[in-house]
Amino acid sequence: MSALSAAAKKGLGDPALAELVMIRASQINHCAFCLDMHLTIARKSGVSEKQLDLLEAWEEAGDVFDERERAALALTEAVTVLTDGFVPDEVYERAAARFTDAELAHLTGLVAVINGWNRVMVSRRIPPGGYAP
Amino acid sequence: MTTYTEDTSTAYASELPVRLRWAEHAPAVYKAMIKLDTAARQGLDPKLYELVKIRASQINHCALCIDMHTKDALAAGESVERIILLNAWEESRHYYTEKELAALELTEAVTVLTDGFVPDEVYEKAAKHFEEAELAQLISAIAVINAWNRFGVTCRMTPGHYQPGQHA
Repeated sequence: MSALSAAAKKGLGDPALAELVMIRASQINHCAFCLDMHLTIARKSGVSEKQLDLLEAWEEAGDVFDERERAALALTEAVTVLTDGFVPDEVYERAAARFTDAELAHLTGLVAVINGWNRVMVSRRIPPGGYAP
Repeated sequence: MTTYTEDTSTAYASELPVRLRWAEHAPAVYKAMIKLDTAARQGLDPKLYELVKIRASQINHCALCIDMHTKDALAAGESVERIILLNAWEESRHYYTEKELAALELTEAVTVLTDGFVPDEVYEKAAKHFEEAELAQLISAIAVINAWNRFGVTCRMTPGHYQPGQHA
């Protein structure tokens, strides 16, 4: 799983965006351990407090997130909540317009793997706070 | 078995194009997924493993994954009835063992995280039927199929072309 995360993150080539994506998925999946871990990493990577504060309401957050980040977050939400339907064409196309095929493949991988981690941590009820950078 | 692709006399809708051949664009990620999948299935009964994969894929609506794991299940000797009734396993309990039912219940709870946490009673039931190492494998298997489902749906990998054992 760690190798998978590392490969996806490396291929995306945007550590700050990677953290935003992983935090957003962990919010949706209610993974306390993952939120604690990725918020810690995000702060260390220089992601702004304003972005972290407003991430849950990114759609209404004006210019706090740029169009590339917004496209990635929209895709993250669609890919995370598969039970409600498929990944809509407009969401996919919005991301495809701002990411290369290789970036998009890695972004999808990143969302898939954080969804995997969220499931392992929630199932096993791993408490938050155990992560040390 | 006649498949829809061999039936040329019926005017089926056209097949949707694949959005992204992700494995070609992210080969290291694909390799890591294969390794993870291989590790997750260790120690799990192959039939149970396929039931879990099919059920998660149904919930996540992953067409490629349903196609693949149904075929793999049949190839592993699974019965058609158990696959057909899987979507309504709660009302078809007499087709499954208590252990399989506990695994299916856990699969659903872990797959639909957005609706809440994994309830204690669901976890405890699984913990009663699976010893710790096996339970860890089961949770890993559920997490991995959920990841595969996300690649399949996002990249719109089309069903119908999988042959059992193709990736074995």
